[in-house]
Amino acid sequence: MLVVDRHGGLVRVNQAARTLLPGAESGDRLRDTVPAWLHEAHRSISDGSRSTSAGPLSGRINDRLLEAHPTPSDDGDVVWWLLDETDRRLAETALTDARTRTEILSEVSSALLSTLNVPRCMEVAASMAAEHFAEAAVLVAPPHGKRYPLTYACHGGPVRQVTRKIEAAEVPGLTEALRGFPPVPARWINPDDIPGWLIPDGFTGPVGSVIVTPLPGHGVPAGALVLLRSSTEQAFTEGEEVFARLFAARAGAALSAARLYTEQATITGTLMRELLPPTLNRVHGVEYAGGYRAAKDHERIGGDFYDVHPGSDPTQESLVVLGDVAGKGLDAAVLTGKIRNTLHALLPLAEDHQRVLNLLNGALISSHSTRFATLVLASVRRRGGRVQVRLTSAGHLPPLIVRADGTVEEVATGGNLVGVLPAVTTNTVRTVLEPGETCLLYTDGITEARGGPLGDELFGEHRLRRALAECAGMPAEAVVERVQMLTAQWLGAGRHDDMALVAVSAPKTGLLTVVNGHASRQNGRRDM
Amino acid sequence: MSRLTAKDGLAERLWQAVVDGDEHTAARVVHGALDDGVDEETLLLEVIAPVQEKVGVEWAADRITVAQEHAATAINERVVASLAHRRRQSGEHGAPHRGRVTVSCVDGEWHAFPARLVAEVLALCGWRVDYLGAQTPTPHLVAHLHHTNPDAVLLSGSLPTHLPTAHAAITACQAVGVPVLAGGRAFGPDGRHARALGADRWAADARGAAAVLEEGMTRPDPSASRQPVDDLPHLVDQEYTMVVQTRSLLVKQTLADLETRFPAMRAYSDAQRERTAEDLAHIVDFLAAALYVDDTDLFTAFLTWTADILEARQVPAHSLTAGLDALAGQLRDFPRTVELIREGTAVLAEHSVRPVPGPSTHA
Amino acid sequence: MTTLPPPEFTLDFVREPGTLTVRVRGDLDYDTSDDALDAVLEQLSAGRAPRDVRLDFGELTWIDSTGLSTLLMIHRRTSTLGATLHLDNRPAVLERMLLMTNVLDHLTAPAADERAGAELEEDGVSGAGAT
Repeated sequence: MLVVDRHGGLVRVNQAARTLLPGAESGDRLRDTVPAWLHEAHRSISDGSRSTSAGPLSGRINDRLLEAHPTPSDDGDVVWWLLDETDRRLAETALTDARTRTEILSEVSSALLSTLNVPRCMEVAASMAAEHFAEAAVLVAPPHGKRYPLTYACHGGPVRQVTRKIEAAEVPGLTEALRGFPPVPARWINPDDIPGWLIPDGFTGPVGSVIVTPLPGHGVPAGALVLLRSSTEQAFTEGEEVFARLFAARAGAALSAARLYTEQATITGTLMRELLPPTLNRVHGVEYAGGYRAAKDHERIGGDFYDVHPGSDPTQESLVVLGDVAGKGLDAAVLTGKIRNTLHALLPLAEDHQRVLNLLNGALISSHSTRFATLVLASVRRRGGRVQVRLTSAGHLPPLIVRADGTVEEVATGGNLVGVLPAVTTNTVRTVLEPGETCLLYTDGITEARGGPLGDELFGEHRLRRALAECAGMPAEAVVERVQMLTAQWLGAGRHDDMALVAVSAPKTGLLTVVNGHASRQNGRRDM
Repeated sequence: MSRLTAKDGLAERLWQAVVDGDEHTAARVVHGALDDGVDEETLLLEVIAPVQEKVGVEWAADRITVAQEHAATAINERVVASLAHRRRQSGEHGAPHRGRVTVSCVDGEWHAFPARLVAEVLALCGWRVDYLGAQTPTPHLVAHLHHTNPDAVLLSGSLPTHLPTAHAAITACQAVGVPVLAGGRAFGPDGRHARALGADRWAADARGAAAVLEEGMTRPDPSASRQPVDDLPHLVDQEYTMVVQTRSLLVKQTLADLETRFPAMRAYSDAQRERTAEDLAHIVDFLAAALYVDDTDLFTAFLTWTADILEARQVPAHSLTAGLDALAGQLRDFPRTVELIREGTAVLAEHSVRPVPGPSTHA
Repeated sequence: MTTLPPPEFTLDFVREPGTLTVRVRGDLDYDTSDDALDAVLEQLSAGRAPRDVRLDFGELTWIDSTGLSTLLMIHRRTSTLGATLHLDNRPAVLERMLLMTNVLDHLTAPAADERAGAELEEDGVSGAGAT
């Protein structure tokens, strides 16, 4: 507390004020004792230009932050109460910083977790690091062989990603950080020690401070993050270093999740490729088209399958297979793979469907399961403009034939399912497709599609037949698309089983060569 | 011969070929034009696209059969595929030199042709295009985005009834940080539904889409925690949900009401009854879509289109009005729905007094 | 405006001397088959093996291929036990499936004496009831 008279002379200085203003004594002049902000405030109160009720002022005295409250006394003196605000301000600043950091971390987490793509995740991590902590950030990912994916980001600039050969050992601490084990703390390194490749294009000025921090992954090293500031900027504070470590933990977790996802997706993709239904084309003057929809829309494979094995030349029969394994999902899909491979191996015997089916049956019988398959075999050969077909059903829905006049016939073939009984018996039916006629093989997922305008009806064979009657003369592809579209509409958003169908058509017009098979659609998915 | 008439001639010849189911001639027309120096984009957008458009128009007017429609579409698709094949074989356009984009149809959407054209045009412009085709389940689309990290997704929809699904797809793509460019009839003639559903951009056609990509699309802020419902605050009234959940019951009850009102309907065959039920289900689906995006025009446009389709097939359109009336009776507790039906009925009344456009009778 | 939920899937067992009757109710399909098989196998291995096992399908509402696979597995076990399987009160959906896959004769063939139907019986699910 100070009491000051109207002329700016100190009337009283208490003990606390003496600690704050060493050497201040009553009788001294205020202007010689305190900083300008305070004595000017006193002067404006004395000359009446400032009211004492205008609220406190604040300013620094030496290294303390003070709030000064003036109170007038009756004799014209002013009592100045000086409150030390230093610690409160420090606490407030720390709180705001913490709040900002929490916000930043939350933003960082959302951004990092939004993607499971590794390059994108590295891009996000590097650019956020450059935005929040440093002028530049370089994310060094674990190498593929000797080549390291590097992601460079400068504050406010674009992100650049390259993969190049580097000597990680040139950067002190980088090798350890990349190895991920033993755990190493973030580490300051001498700016003079860093190689040129670590400095991003567009980084201005000499490097002032550098931190290398590991990105801790989930048991797998996720890489290392290098933060750079130029010499004109403030070096990293201890608080910032802690914050950078928190950031690195988030980035590392996100990156290793993305990496694990990518690895899993790659493995699944590789395994699944073998099980996906093939693309069907025109073969030896006969049109083939196939359609597939898995029971679970997020999976792409299931228990239905089909194949077309082209004859070695146009005089030889091609073998069409379509079938259904009991069950759904991956379990069923694995068995379809076995069946397809077995049938492929049995192609030389395709002359005799029953024999092929019996050999397949023997290969599938298992002591611990009664999972079975039903299938149709069709041997197809073009003779002149007509197509000869031999059809055998092993416990499967009989094929339907769409004649040129719109009549729909059921092929009277039948037999046992395969994979459970000691032997199977079947009968084979021969028929001929005239130009424009189609033979449709399909699984029960089509006819058992549940839905329709009234909600809970089966699509049923009669609707399939009615739809096919309208398909007379259509190319195989259009027949498949028509049936798939009708069943999809029928289902709406309803649950369904695996659905597969193959159409075999005798082309309506002469042989085509211009539009060849290579160009036809591949299950609706293709890179261009 | 001017360029314009040359194109018109081509389109006319291609139309004849596809409607005859003559793939050979269709391919010859298009590849011949390419040999004569017509550029591929022009062929795709000014010859093939109008022919495909005409397929739909002619079907609506009952001048071609369903079989012809499907066959024509299949041929057009194969012609487009053969152009792409030829382009890749020739290597004329070189390696893609722009970014990578994904073209996909909305889950449940079967009309893949417009998406296919966009994919081809973008490939011609030098984009690396992943074309996912018709009926792409949203989980596949999202997995694909994680896998490829494209610069943008082009989401195509033809039927407005897929708008709710499109909304889910748009939100999902943006949540993984990929911007969405919506296109196709479903999003409205001016793209209003694309905006309502929060798509980053909209384009009217393939060239428009190419222009938007050329400008560059900004990635959505993945840290913004936007919920789909934020886009459509009117959904809190639950009317959309109610209509969707009771769809089958609404159709059943409406069918029963109509049979009471029109005793002649009781003599309908099963197939006729089913057609009627399907028509009613369509009305409910479009009603639901209109409720979802809160747009009357969506509903009325569907009704007038259906009226034209029915009239072209000599079915009096007043059956539509009767269906609407019966529906309104069941939904009277839902003000937004009732208002939509009222407007629909009014528009139909006005529509039926004017002469039916289009279909001149010919064999 | 409510729809009835699909009937719950249940199995009821009735044991009489020499005969086990299983009343199958609801959908025997991908979702219910595993539990159904476990329950029937448990009954078969409990106590003295029956001579006849009657599956009563009077209230079966649906069966899919996984359901049929379950019937084939039950049959495999009843054959091992020397019991004859009977498929009673078959609704159209089951009849149709049996006809198409051509396994009715196989499933309902009278069990030959002592383990004759056991051509496939060296399996992992051994330890079935006393014979």
